[in-house]
Amino acid sequence: MSKSTTVAQPSRLSVIWHKWRFHINVLLLLIPLGFMPRYFADAALFRGDSGLGEREIGEIQVGPWSLRLAELRDEAPRSDGPAGYLKGFNAALCDACIEPVKATYLRIGKPRSLRAAGSIFFGTPYRMGIQLPVPEKTKADADLWITMEGWDGSLHQASIPLSQASPATVAWLNKQGAKP
Amino acid sequence: MSRPTRLNMSVALLALCAGFSTAALAHNPMCECKAIDAEQIKCTGGFSDGSGAPGVTLDVIGYDETILVPGKLGADSTLTFKKPGAEFYVLFDAGPGHVVEIDQADIEAP
Repeated sequence: MSKSTTVAQPSRLSVIWHKWRFHINVLLLLIPLGFMPRYFADAALFRGDSGLGEREIGEIQVGPWSLRLAELRDEAPRSDGPAGYLKGFNAALCDACIEPVKATYLRIGKPRSLRAAGSIFFGTPYRMGIQLPVPEKTKADADLWITMEGWDGSLHQASIPLSQASPATVAWLNKQGAKP
Repeated sequence: MSRPTRLNMSVALLALCAGFSTAALAHNPMCECKAIDAEQIKCTGGFSDGSGAPGVTLDVIGYDETILVPGKLGADSTLTFKKPGAEFYVLFDAGPGHVVEIDQADIEAP
């Protein structure tokens, strides 16, 4: 009695797969390790362990009050689609201003009024955040205006050059050319 | 042992897409104004997450800070108003810090 069976020859790819599949899976487990440094750096940045932001601008006096300002990331503004380009800043109020200050606003160029004071800082006074719209036609010598509103209705303003607040933003404005 | 099936590949692709997508959490205010003819200007408001802004305040304010046209956006998130004679800017005001200013110089001609 003879049995004639024809066993299909496994393809070359199949042989490689069966021989190395466990090793390949170990490599897959190693891939996330490459992203770990970035993950821990971001976690420290958002928790505040690595400071207020990637680049500290310093203490800025606004009338009787002051705040520490920092760029969240030392980079050019990021596009938010139709809302335009946005730049992230963080700020911490001085210890004496936490009680009396109601709101802090940031704007490129001098605000026309309190209603148009710009974007508002949100979050705890020890670490507030903002996404500041940066119009593409902003001049490189523009100023960044800080408006602080007190619970008693008082208003105080200060400005710093944009080049001091964010050299990366000014470099981005220079690179893309001033739009009309 | 089966070869990777089409279903398995689809599942892997879906997992990759989910992993690389970033959540769009921001909803920044935005506003666009256009002159529809020599007399009328139409402004459309909204937020960058795609939502509209019906009922949000949109004021036309003179350079001397007097409110020339106090308005609210309609159900279609737009407002059409007559171009004021004096110099003006448009303020889309969705609350403190959630504003968009549009200067008359930045309004497109028809």
